[in-house]
Amino acid sequence: MTQRGHVLDDSWYLDYAAGTLGTEAQDVMMASHVELSDEARGRVAALETLGGAMLDASDGEDVPLGFSVEDILRRAGSEEDETPSALPGATAVVDDSLCLPQALQDYLARTGTPVRWGFLGPGMRKAILWRGEHGERLWLLRAQPGVAIPHHGHRGSELTLVLKGSFWDGDQEYRPGDVEEAYPGVEHDIRIDEGGECVCLALTEGKLKFESPVLRAFQVFTGL
Amino acid sequence: MTHDTDRRRSISDAARLAGLLERVGRQRDAQAFRALFDHFAPRIRSFLMNRRVSAALADDLTQDVMLAIWRRASSFDAAKASAATWIYTIARNAHIDHYRKAVRARKIDEHDPHFQPPDQPLPDDLYERAEAGQSVAGALSGLPDDQRLVLELAFTEGLSHSEIAERLDLPLGTVKSRVRLAMNKMRQGLGEWK
Repeated sequence: MTQRGHVLDDSWYLDYAAGTLGTEAQDVMMASHVELSDEARGRVAALETLGGAMLDASDGEDVPLGFSVEDILRRAGSEEDETPSALPGATAVVDDSLCLPQALQDYLARTGTPVRWGFLGPGMRKAILWRGEHGERLWLLRAQPGVAIPHHGHRGSELTLVLKGSFWDGDQEYRPGDVEEAYPGVEHDIRIDEGGECVCLALTEGKLKFESPVLRAFQVFTGL
Repeated sequence: MTHDTDRRRSISDAARLAGLLERVGRQRDAQAFRALFDHFAPRIRSFLMNRRVSAALADDLTQDVMLAIWRRASSFDAAKASAATWIYTIARNAHIDHYRKAVRARKIDEHDPHFQPPDQPLPDDLYERAEAGQSVAGALSGLPDDQRLVLELAFTEGLSHSEIAERLDLPLGTVKSRVRLAMNKMRQGLGEWK
């Protein structure tokens, strides 16, 4: 399991299970990954068991609670009928063929974020979903079968989660639920599998760094 | 042996809590809910206070979590998680949801972060699940101090791995490798954590 890819460093699962990720975009990325990957789900479940054991082992403080159990039961009784508005059918606006995980659909519905596709390159489209205060972007990539994303590096780290189809980085194949983590200094050549279109969710910190000046100029237009 | 006696006692305690949660889910049993409240409400509140939530907010969020436990108890599956784990995820999510909303409302600096819920059984399952919860606690106590400390800071104080590195004045890579070592060790101890 030392080969690059497929799952993330354990510190990601710890931060997710402990509820300490830095941004909502990281929450959405990790929840989507955990939803799609059995391996990731197993790691998180184990850590959550640990969280439960620690909660159980903690001593409640001496400070008395500012409310009683009867307050809760009263609220439960009076609000019983207006219970959980099932998450809105707002998912209808999202194209089913994208195979978006529930966690991502819920996020889009909750925040009213539209999926607007723009040109990224030949055979590739992108939809930016969220921008952070420090230049981070959460975005969707939709690429045609066989498309190649030329040799590039990264100025910041980038997580790429496959939602549909698959891509290759060298001889490594990434399938739905797999995440590739790219760091500054890591160079890679991505090729979309010939078998079908590929949809990925990516979280990027810092611009991509292309070797080719033409592609660098191109970045001005694509916003990546 | 005392250790075995303690362990038996906590296993039966975990089974009791899971049983109470099931009674709330199946029969809306207020008496069972009161017993759960007595056990968990103070713990949830101190969990939130440890994450640097004000006392007033901790009271509000604890009430929301207890209400969510009452409402969602029918989705608790003792074959999947212990009562404490199920309740932990509800409390964690309530904290994150609150925190993210506050960030969206621009009340909080996103770089001062801390603040996320989840998923009834045959007696055998109950027992097994409770036992798994216990062996995790056991595995934790078998870890070297430096690894255990990292996990405790994450769950009890709600620090991210990079905040833990700052707190302990360690390189990020060192904290990452301690997390990795701890998880590997626990995985071995638990046979794939199941």
